[in-house]
Amino acid sequence: HPHSRPRHSRAHTMVPLLLLLLATAHGLDELGYKPQLASSALGGLNTTSTFVLEQPRCVFTDYPNADIWLVVAIPEAVANFSNSVEPGTPERAFQGFPTSAGAYMTLNTTLLNYPCPKDPGEITVLRVGSETSCATDASRPTCNGPLPGPGPYQVKFLALEGSEPVAETEWSDRIALRTASQPSSILVKGSGHSTGMIALTSILAILFAILLASLVAMVIFWGSDSCGGSSTFSKPEAVSVRRYNTHHVYDQPAARL
Amino acid sequence: MAKSDDGIRILQGLLVFGNVIIGMCGIALTAECIFFVSDPHGLYPLLEATENDDIYAAAWIGIFVGFALFGLSILGIIGVIKANRTLLVVYIILMLITYAFEMASCITAATQRDFLTPNLFLKQMLERYQKSEPDNNNDKWMTEGVTKTWDKLMLQNHCCGVQGPSDWQDYTSAFRVKHNDADYPWPHNCCVMDAQGSPVNLDGCKLGVSGYYNSKGCYGAISGPMNTHAWGVAWFGFAILCWTFCVLLGTMFYWSRIEY
Repeated sequence: HPHSRPRHSRAHTMVPLLLLLLATAHGLDELGYKPQLASSALGGLNTTSTFVLEQPRCVFTDYPNADIWLVVAIPEAVANFSNSVEPGTPERAFQGFPTSAGAYMTLNTTLLNYPCPKDPGEITVLRVGSETSCATDASRPTCNGPLPGPGPYQVKFLALEGSEPVAETEWSDRIALRTASQPSSILVKGSGHSTGMIALTSILAILFAILLASLVAMVIFWGSDSCGGSSTFSKPEAVSVRRYNTHHVYDQPAARL
Repeated sequence: MAKSDDGIRILQGLLVFGNVIIGMCGIALTAECIFFVSDPHGLYPLLEATENDDIYAAAWIGIFVGFALFGLSILGIIGVIKANRTLLVVYIILMLITYAFEMASCITAATQRDFLTPNLFLKQMLERYQKSEPDNNNDKWMTEGVTKTWDKLMLQNHCCGVQGPSDWQDYTSAFRVKHNDADYPWPHNCCVMDAQGSPVNLDGCKLGVSGYYNSKGCYGAISGPMNTHAWGVAWFGFAILCWTFCVLLGTMFYWSRIEY
């Protein structure tokens, strides 16, 4: 009889077995880690063509034999990103990013380089964009070359055993790079005269004007005083005593200043 | 008579004293201006490249005014003691000319100081530092001056850029044209150097790890000496001129009192 009980019980055990087989056949472990930028104390955290990520320490501990790759993608390529496309193919080549390749894979390493636990005194970072020598070398599709524009970009880590993806992290938040402005946009402030300078100029001008006025008064006084006038100081000479007596006759108190 | 005689004697004494002070201040002004003109901090190429180095012209005028003040003060002392009207007229007129020159120097120094802002130096640094294709000989001379001065500044003062290393990231520059961003986020002189003149840790410098790169800006190292220079010429000159004003007024009064 095809619908006997033993068969039913076998069918019940078959389904979970099938599911288990399916899961292991897929093999992809979704790790709950989200890649982040490194600490903001770094001055070069974010430049116009590079950025710095925290290393994924203590994340891939279950996969000592896998190659851990960094995937960098433009946000448009994140939705239909396929894990099974192998690194080094034209679809994942750095040199074609972002025009012909929506994402590229680089910085592959094994778990040996991400030891767990992290030494607290160490700066454990990954600088994305530091390799300039291979940026235009088509024979190096996994180059960690400088990013072509200000972004934004999203990254994730992917562990591959052979060519099989076995684990991946979440996609990071969007990472935007710096944009540089033109130096011609810098406003060199014209002439912002400080109060000190204005005070100095005005006081000096006034003093000079007073001096000139006194000089003019002096010249006028000299002119009207040429052969006469009063003098209140006498040189200590015998001759002047006599002259003083002479002037005494024409002494005019009003002429004295 | 005796009373006014005494009064004139006192005036004479005061004028001699005033002229002695002027003479000493003249020497001091000359010494100060020679110090500034000698450019001990090596910042002159930066000013030269702004094509507006009037602060240096003010200091040069100060040197000659200082000598003139010293010479004229001696003339003044002789004129006052001898009570010679002609000498005193010559003294007054020459002093007024010197006064005018010193006034020009003070005002120039004070005005030029206001012109030297951080943005001015930032723009100059971005446009000239390590510029690879100068337009003409003059441009080449200024570019070399600016590059050498900045290299020396960053090395000796352990600083980077005008406001900080981010200047090199926030703006494109002649430096950026020559050196790509990934290898040189900022010039290598911004890195902490060892005794041989090479970076202690180049990767640390590129990452911006504190201790391996200079994170503070150089504007303090530039504006400090320039402020001292400008204010030294402007305000010391102003003080001398105020004193000279009093002495000159006193001399004119004294002149009107002595007999011909």
